[in-house]
Amino acid sequence: MGFFLRRLSFYFIALLFAATLNFIIPRAMPGDPVTMMFANATTQVTPERIAAMKELLGFVDGPLYEQFFIYIKSVLSWELGTSVQFYPLSVNSVLGNAFGWSLFLAGSAVLLSFTLGSVLGIFAAWRRGSKFDTIFSPGMLAVQSVPQVVIAMILMFTFAIGLGWFPTGNAYTPGLTPDWTSWTFLKDVAYHAVLPLIAASIVQVGGFLINMRNNMINLLAEDYITMAKGKGLSENRVVFNYAARNAMLPSVTALSMALGMAIGGQMIVEIIFNYPGLGTVLLNAINARDYQVLQGQLLVMTLFMLFFNLLADMLYVVLDPRLRKGA
Amino acid sequence: MTTPQISIRNLCVDYITADGDVRAVNNVSFDIGKGEVFGLAGESGCGKSTVAFSLMRLHKPPAYISGGEVLFDDGNGAKDIMKYSDGEMGIFRWSEMSMVFQSAMNALNPVIPIVDQFTDVIMRHTDKNKYEAVKRAEQLLQIVDIHPNRLSDYPHQFSGGMRQRLVIAIALALNPKLIIMDEPTTALDVVVQREILQKIYALKEEFGFSILFITHDLSLMVEFSDRIGIMYSGELIEVAAAKDILESPYHPYTHGLGSSFPSLTGPKAELKGIPGNPLNLLDLPQGCRFQARCERVTDICRRKATQLRDVQAGHLSNCHLAVGGQPIAIVETEAVAV
Repeated sequence: MGFFLRRLSFYFIALLFAATLNFIIPRAMPGDPVTMMFANATTQVTPERIAAMKELLGFVDGPLYEQFFIYIKSVLSWELGTSVQFYPLSVNSVLGNAFGWSLFLAGSAVLLSFTLGSVLGIFAAWRRGSKFDTIFSPGMLAVQSVPQVVIAMILMFTFAIGLGWFPTGNAYTPGLTPDWTSWTFLKDVAYHAVLPLIAASIVQVGGFLINMRNNMINLLAEDYITMAKGKGLSENRVVFNYAARNAMLPSVTALSMALGMAIGGQMIVEIIFNYPGLGTVLLNAINARDYQVLQGQLLVMTLFMLFFNLLADMLYVVLDPRLRKGA
Repeated sequence: MTTPQISIRNLCVDYITADGDVRAVNNVSFDIGKGEVFGLAGESGCGKSTVAFSLMRLHKPPAYISGGEVLFDDGNGAKDIMKYSDGEMGIFRWSEMSMVFQSAMNALNPVIPIVDQFTDVIMRHTDKNKYEAVKRAEQLLQIVDIHPNRLSDYPHQFSGGMRQRLVIAIALALNPKLIIMDEPTTALDVVVQREILQKIYALKEEFGFSILFITHDLSLMVEFSDRIGIMYSGELIEVAAAKDILESPYHPYTHGLGSSFPSLTGPKAELKGIPGNPLNLLDLPQGCRFQARCERVTDICRRKATQLRDVQAGHLSNCHLAVGGQPIAIVETEAVAV
């Protein structure tokens, strides 16, 4: 428990640090969002109007340290302000809509590719040098090095436009009212998610596969694997309980990093398939100089990264008894 | 004489390399009697561990067994385990023949508790349920003097000597007829080493299994074994009773090994090593494999291949010069006297 609290306080400090950077960077850039808003205005903009707009959008004047404390307070109380682009929507609701879709798409893509990559990696290592290994291991790496945009486009042209098996965009059929208890709606969501999910997953499989395969091959030379075979244990038990169990450990780090990154959104896939996730929001926010949304999104991404790192720390302790103290 | 526990006949193990196949174990034949401790000695890379792994068919690619028979008496007559299917081999392993690995530090899975490493093998080979398997594990732990309440601990929570005893306890789990011990004490200090060997010896007396004991510590082996085989470059070159092999060796290599160890009780003498280096197995000479390092090499050694054969009752050697000859040590003492 002491370990958990120590990690937790470490991550809290990391969060404050990240929030500080998040505060400094936009302010180091020239101009401010409100000036940007009025930059293309045809009418005369009076300083009073600018001041009124600033107040409306929740910008604070005053010395930097005062601004900083107000900012930190807003971070901790999770009041991220109002979106400039989607005024009068709050940043919370802009992000909130997209957040669920991103979590669903990117999260399941990571889990899918991790599972697939690890299982393929285990088999590739166990049957090292077999046809399966010689085709799949370099094959998946080759797929990984194809830019995601190309894979997404090919999938879209072949299966959505050419064959018409899947829809070309959106998370669900436009006009449908989201109802998470209705079976028809869930099916519709799954149907729309197939192509984006494949596009987002397939490029990640190779990395997990090679990771797992290499860990496994290193471990297979260990004496306890030979001893497990010598004990006459079934191949499944040797592979999964003795070899894969240990080879998983380094992969857990890779998984948590990938999950942490995932919430940043599968920007390319989301844009190509017009998927309403955080990636799309991020691109729009950058284009519209919507600093409030940008700041909010960076904060969400930071939080997720930290959360999954913490989760990996915890998982490591569960998986590897050597890390447990005083047990 | 009753049937031996295991009899190895013309075992050959090859390694596939880029320069062609290399024969790491060449026509090795020996028997181990019931309840006997057979020691296998030789320098690093001579093939002794390869022999050990091949007996359980645990050799790793690129090694493969290219010939020979391993006849094992499982109580219903001798059977050639080289002919077993993978399924039969899975049943045979550990229940009839188990193994204590070189480094106990690495022979236990670090991330699962000890108890599971006992129960998985017990439940694989017997009809015991989990509860009975745990009971058996507790019993085994007591046999090697470790308190049963440590059963749910992980390997890293034990000392090196305890881990080696754990591995021995796992090896005993199914009362095998033969235990292969591949340098079981190499990683341990001499005090723990003695403790472990005494334990093994007591267990052998109690349960009556045979042991194939492998080490490069010759003096230890002489103490511990009934008979000893010496390997050189993948061949068995001399087999004799433990008390005879260093006292009256017939092969110059065995003689060289004997004079490379200091005597604990005798007068101080300058230690002699064996000049030269181990053979490159890719470039084997015609005739005897030891010829380049042998002081007594003659013409026949360079022409004729060697063959292990009886030179005296219960004493085998493959040296050409051993025919009807005297053991080397005796010859030499006489030479000094003259």
